[in-house]
Amino acid sequence: MKTTKIYEGSHQWIMFGRDEGKPSNIVDTNQYVVRTANRCLLLDPGGAELFAPMMAAVLHHAPVDQITDLFASHQDPDVISSLGLWDQALTNAKLHAPAVWEGFLRHYSCESIEYVPIPDNGGTIKLESVELQIIPAHYLHSSGNFHVYDPQAKILMSGDVGAAIEAPDTPVFVDNFAAHVEKMRYWHQRWMPSNQAKRVWIERVRNLDIDILAPQHGRMFKGDDVKRFLDWFDALQVGIAV
Amino acid sequence: MTNQTKSQFIAVASITSELSAVMVVAKEISLAAANAKAIAFRAGDKAKGFQPITDFINELAKETIELVTNINIYALVLYRLTVDEFQKTTAYNKFELAAKMAGDAVYAKSMQGPVDHARLSMQDCQRQFKRDVSQLLGQLEAVMHHARAARVIAANSRIEASQAGEYLQSLQAVAESVDKAAHTIHDNVQRCRIALSIYRNS
Ligand SMILES: [Fe+2]
Ligand SMILES: [Fe+2]
Repeated sequence: MKTTKIYEGSHQWIMFGRDEGKPSNIVDTNQYVVRTANRCLLLDPGGAELFAPMMAAVLHHAPVDQITDLFASHQDPDVISSLGLWDQALTNAKLHAPAVWEGFLRHYSCESIEYVPIPDNGGTIKLESVELQIIPAHYLHSSGNFHVYDPQAKILMSGDVGAAIEAPDTPVFVDNFAAHVEKMRYWHQRWMPSNQAKRVWIERVRNLDIDILAPQHGRMFKGDDVKRFLDWFDALQVGIAV
Repeated sequence: MTNQTKSQFIAVASITSELSAVMVVAKEISLAAANAKAIAFRAGDKAKGFQPITDFINELAKETIELVTNINIYALVLYRLTVDEFQKTTAYNKFELAAKMAGDAVYAKSMQGPVDHARLSMQDCQRQFKRDVSQLLGQLEAVMHHARAARVIAANSRIEASQAGEYLQSLQAVAESVDKAAHTIHDNVQRCRIALSIYRNS
């Protein structure tokens, strides 16, 4: 698992991805970790296949008993089918996930982990002195969907928005936006169902001060590429399958 | 999934299917008993010896149905245990793998707790499964006992039927169907026992 520190301040953001051991027939994912002095939050911790490499990677940064929080942007298996395993490994943890998905996500088994349902209008996750904002992103692509914004690190973890399917071992940041567009177009047109939802989200996100836009697949956007992405997404027609 | 887990799932599933066949047959016996009672009633004195036998057959069928109903509940518990054990075993293997992959990571040792805990709960499940299998085998033995008793009764019925004059054929048919049903139950339950016996508490 490739590890990239993307923010270092009073706390840290670490990105995990490009797992070499991943079977080639499952989609590659990016996992993010927010690390404070004594706690650790896993954002979209990944599929069951990824549990062992992900856990091993986290152990370079935090002991198991300090993994206190998980966040699932939505219900997809690539996001959180590892839940049943985390549930058996962690003794004192919470899962922050959309309220509308609670009865569904519990199919993965969530007994020792406390399910903290996120209401439709979002909320916050407090990790010691760090306060993260939970930003609604419904219908992008899931009917109950959230992103996480860190105003201090200026990072927006954007789930499947901004995602791209790429070859293994691709760099973690977009370096040529114009070339990257082609890798994102079909993904967004096909997976994102609603132009209206997209418009509402863009309006909301334009008000945030973002240095890094961090999607769950593909590459992260940095600096001016964040605005480029929002403009490009704004102009894109989505929901093309019907 | 390991072969061991797979065959455990299959063994537990096969109990349920064998037992539902036993249930059908037990109901057939109960029907045969009702039939026999009617015939014996019509035959009057000629089938005097047959009447208590029909009650006995009926009783036996009812008890078998009751037993099988209980065993089915047990089988469901066994199924849940098997699922549980599968999950715990998966977790244990993944935890061990994670610990191995972590290598010399700063916090690699912190994985030892979850690994130990997962191993213990996996072993707990295995022990519980073995205990429940032993108990289930005991109940299956009781059904076998009933099936054997039914065959003895069927043999007696045949003798009684031979003295029933014009009712001989119909009463013999009853004895025949009880015997066949008891045979089927015996075979089905025997298959259950064989499937389970490798998991019994030694
Ligand atoms: Fe998704
Ligand atoms: Fe995804």
